[in-house]
Amino acid sequence: MNMLFDGLPRRALVALGLFLAVLLVAPWLVNAYILSLLVVVLYFAYAGQAWNVMMGFAGQLSLGHSLYVGLGAYAAAMMFTKFGVNPWVGLLVAVATTTAMGAIIGFLAFRFGIGGVYFAILTIAFSEFVRVGFDHWPWLGGSGGLFLPVANLSSNDLLNLRGAPIMFYYVMLAMCVAALGFCRWLLGSRLGYYWQAIRENEDAAAALGIPVFRYKMIAVMLSSAMTAFAGVFYAFYYNNLFPEQIFSMGRSIEIILGPIIGGLGTLIGPIVGAFVLTPLADGLSELLQWAGIDVPGVKQVFYGICLLLVVVFLPNGIWPMLARRLGLEREH
Amino acid sequence: MMPSKDAARGAKRRDFLKTAGAVTLGAATLGAPAIVRAQAKTLNIGLLLPKSGTLAFLGQSCQKGADIAAEVCAQLGYKVNIKLMSADFESNVDLSRARAEKLISEGAHMLVGPFDSGAAGAIAQVAEQKGVPFVINIAAAPQITEQGYKFVFRNFFTAGQLVGNGLKLMKELFVATKTQPKSAVYMHVNDTFGMANKGAIDKLYPGANLGMELKASIAYDPAARDLSVEVAKAKATGADVLMVTTRINDAILLVREMVKQRWEPMGIINPGSPGLYEQQFFATLGKYSDYCITNVAWSDPKSAVTDMAKAAWAKKFPKDPWEGNILNAGFTIEAIMICADAFQRAGSTDGKALADALRKTKIEKKIMLGGPIEFDAKGQNNNIISACLQNRSGWARVVLPSDKAERPPIFPMPGWGNRGA
Repeated sequence: MNMLFDGLPRRALVALGLFLAVLLVAPWLVNAYILSLLVVVLYFAYAGQAWNVMMGFAGQLSLGHSLYVGLGAYAAAMMFTKFGVNPWVGLLVAVATTTAMGAIIGFLAFRFGIGGVYFAILTIAFSEFVRVGFDHWPWLGGSGGLFLPVANLSSNDLLNLRGAPIMFYYVMLAMCVAALGFCRWLLGSRLGYYWQAIRENEDAAAALGIPVFRYKMIAVMLSSAMTAFAGVFYAFYYNNLFPEQIFSMGRSIEIILGPIIGGLGTLIGPIVGAFVLTPLADGLSELLQWAGIDVPGVKQVFYGICLLLVVVFLPNGIWPMLARRLGLEREH
Repeated sequence: MMPSKDAARGAKRRDFLKTAGAVTLGAATLGAPAIVRAQAKTLNIGLLLPKSGTLAFLGQSCQKGADIAAEVCAQLGYKVNIKLMSADFESNVDLSRARAEKLISEGAHMLVGPFDSGAAGAIAQVAEQKGVPFVINIAAAPQITEQGYKFVFRNFFTAGQLVGNGLKLMKELFVATKTQPKSAVYMHVNDTFGMANKGAIDKLYPGANLGMELKASIAYDPAARDLSVEVAKAKATGADVLMVTTRINDAILLVREMVKQRWEPMGIINPGSPGLYEQQFFATLGKYSDYCITNVAWSDPKSAVTDMAKAAWAKKFPKDPWEGNILNAGFTIEAIMICADAFQRAGSTDGKALADALRKTKIEKKIMLGGPIEFDAKGQNNNIISACLQNRSGWARVVLPSDKAERPPIFPMPGWGNRGA
């Protein structure tokens, strides 16, 4: 436990505690719309954290993370709809499936020396051909989609992940906290140091005796395993899955935007990114509506400009600057 | 002392953050609970459409239909005030749910939309949880009305009904023209929509008894730049009829290639997809666009309500022909008519009262072809029928069913070289 908070200034601990307290009471203070936005924010914070393990920590760029979201979603949804298995058990199948897929991609890439942009292209390629595969798999609905049965229950059923948005909010919040703690532990472990060494200079890391292949494989498999939960959550929150949507390149980009804007390779960056991007997008919608501008696509232009400003003025992301300004950086 | 470069940059960052914070806070405040209770005689309809993103063109077409719907309702004698509250879900299913929550928290009494099955599935859950009736204008996934929902109503085909109607009309076409082709080849795009259609055809074709052997199915990429190989393959089957499931660009490529390869089957028939009846198809192919056939939901050319909608459209959107928007706008106008009708009968904006009224809907005066709008126990309208459209002189004309036909059908189609200048 100590290791999680080692070196954190008191101010950072207080800020973290306050932030968590606000998140815990938030559902009781906001309306249904804001709550549904918060669910989306937490979903992207979690998925971004999972992606960050692979890219932020180990330096392996994946542009096809929607593959793991989609596989996780389909695996758990399949277990639920076809065999009546509850989503938590389905999660185990989802994790096994995504980890295996991560291992295949990682092995193919790292065994044959594929790295950098070529590795990124490989991840896109896998995501695309899995999408096409699911499009042509009628047992899971094919391109017509897989629909999970929906029941309008008066109470929340956590075991089967059936219930109101507030239940999904707390589930996602718990997973975000768990992911944050896990990533903190990873970063502080030998594994984390090896990853960072590989990220900074793979040849130098190898020269120092770090088994680069093995540790890159671990990064890919851990990241894909973590992402499986985002997929399970998606399946049971939205209750319908279409290969074209869940495996789309756009979804992969959405996942990686948070960590990039928030601060790549940092622990809090993916969370900050998610909390900036989703409210920014919706805030812009509100602002434009308030200003009486109803031109489709204008929001996307403004959104793009905002992202551009962040990238230009904060190339390391928002969190490193914020942490420095607020004195929340770790003491070394 | 001059401030350092870093300090100056820091000040800018602070300014930027302050501004960004203010914008976000302001936006959040605007989006905060602002529950607006409607006047007794005003129905707030939350309209959820993909007005940007990949489905933008279609969503905007639906929006235009919604923009003239109030006028059409007034002309039909509905004594209700309609307030439209629009939300763009950006062709993103994830956002559709949040947008539905937003519209409801801002006071929407009913929801209409969304031209997408995934989004319809997500919105339906919100509607059901909140007890707010949701009238689907366009979304074909059959599962949406199979979930036992009490507040979800669909005035559109399911995917199976669409293809089933399309195949039935093909049979009627052969009877009406006293021509019986012996064989067909099926070419289709291999995207989600195309594969769904292929699946439905595989399932329904054997039972349709069209008297034509289906010689082959040939899939192709909707983004293909060249269909010469696929067309040559289809031509080589020697089939009498080419059945297609297309999008717009590939439909153009396909016919161009057929002209180039001088393949002249008896007809090109589309049992239920876009492509062959679109403005861009006519504009690009000119005389070669003629005689292609599409079986799809369409407006009733002999309905007074269609005339009203057409006139209102021409007044509001003079540069955008109604003919290019019939399916999207027609079903959206009808969805709003359904809401107005239910509200008038319910006399209340209470969700349950509106849903009860929706279950008793029976609207005879309408735009789209088919029987009266009414919903079964699952909330599905099963009375919609397809029209057999044939391209004639640059316009899609209804040629079947015969009592609604604007022209008699021509089948087999004239060869490419027999179409004048």
